Amino acid sequence: MNEFWDKVVELFTTPQYIDSLLHGFLLTLQISFFAILLGLIIGTIVALIDTSKRTKWTILPKAICKIYTTVIRGTPMALQLFIMFFVIFAIRGFPQIIIAILAFGFNSGAYVAEVIRSGIQSVDKGQTEAGMALGLSRFTIFRRIVAPQAIKNILPALGNEIVTVIKETAIVSMVGMYDLNMAAKDIGSGQNMASYIVPMFVAALFYLATVYLITFIIRQIEKHLRRSERRA
Amino acid sequence: MSEEVLSIKNLKKEFGQNKVLKGIDFSLRDKERVVVLGPSGSGKSTFLRCINRMEEPTSGEMSFEGTLITDKNIQQMRQKIGMVFQHFNLINNLTVMQNLTLAPAKLKLMNLEAAEKKARNLLRHIGLLNKADAYPASLSGGQQQRIAIIRAMMMNPEILLFDEPTSALDPESIGDVLDLIREVVDAGMTVMIVTHEMGFAREIASRVIFVDQGHIIEEGTPTEFFEHPQTPRVQEFLKKVLY
Repeated sequence: MNEFWDKVVELFTTPQYIDSLLHGFLLTLQISFFAILLGLIIGTIVALIDTSKRTKWTILPKAICKIYTTVIRGTPMALQLFIMFFVIFAIRGFPQIIIAILAFGFNSGAYVAEVIRSGIQSVDKGQTEAGMALGLSRFTIFRRIVAPQAIKNILPALGNEIVTVIKETAIVSMVGMYDLNMAAKDIGSGQNMASYIVPMFVAALFYLATVYLITFIIRQIEKHLRRSERRA
Repeated sequence: MSEEVLSIKNLKKEFGQNKVLKGIDFSLRDKERVVVLGPSGSGKSTFLRCINRMEEPTSGEMSFEGTLITDKNIQQMRQKIGMVFQHFNLINNLTVMQNLTLAPAKLKLMNLEAAEKKARNLLRHIGLLNKADAYPASLSGGQQQRIAIIRAMMMNPEILLFDEPTSALDPESIGDVLDLIREVVDAGMTVMIVTHEMGFAREIASRVIFVDQGHIIEEGTPTEFFEHPQTPRVQEFLKKVLY
């Protein structure tokens, strides 16, 4: 047990290790943040196309969206990452972080699309009909009636997706990127501390704290949105 | 005879292979009170819902005040053709006041201030002014339906469609809702009502139409319809519901 605490002290008193951890953590946060942002944009667009009225103008976009979500959800994330790195962006000198953001963003977009689509479709049809019967436009019905109700259904599942992306970015170590996961492995390796337990434990705490914080924020927003369900 | 407000020619509606309406011809005149009766599955609700295109008709022509109802003008038409639903359909994320004022203010029928004033008057009239800032989830079914009726009235519609307005209510609140509908009708509103309340139908209707298997098979004044039904199908129906 003493040895364990010695390693803890060693990790936190060696500037080089602290530096590695923080750099890794920063990269994890950067990839996660921008991938989630990209995923939200793609997911929202795909969901809106998917739930739009079927006309001759929407058949092709709808088909493209269907193929996109099917392919992304039907193949492993790690493989998608490899394809991005070694096939699509096999360009020398292209910034790795951008490739990673695109890989995770495109992946997340498919899941976000499903979350938003099912959130929109879970709003009772009568709510839309009420707006239609009053002569409101499709846009007004969506903005004032459907979207505010859908968000309540979407938010919890969206929180899950955000958390999933943060954790899943750990696989960028497979293409040699120095994220939090990779930092822990590096610090624990033979050239450094020669013991994995403490750095990995610390990396786990970093992930946990981040995920916990995100979950907490989403809960607060949910609580705020639920106020219209209170019984007056 | 007063002026024709609604004219329907050969209205058909199919859901896939299922032919629900097989050619309905119908016309509605100003101040008429038409009650639509028929067994469940006869297409009477679908008929009503085709009028303001809650359901897209498969074929047929409908005109409102002499103008053909099309995809282009349906939003304007709906402002004049109010609807009250079986399940009330108050908007869950809006307060009672917002439910009442959203459409009239958004569609610039009146400014928000005028809409709120009108809403308060109507709410006071039905005894629910204290619920103005409540959300629908906190109200009883009867309260929700009465608010849904005044929400339709907020638009100053030319005609009002009632799609089984009391079918989802507990027996105690049915009376309150029927009283309000009666009041709306007495004020001269042109209405079409799909209902299973036979006593109410007889009392309120100026004309009864009976829909069966996608056709209007009989129509007449309440007295003709209830006391001297012509077709065997209506005779059988009335025997079952009026034991």
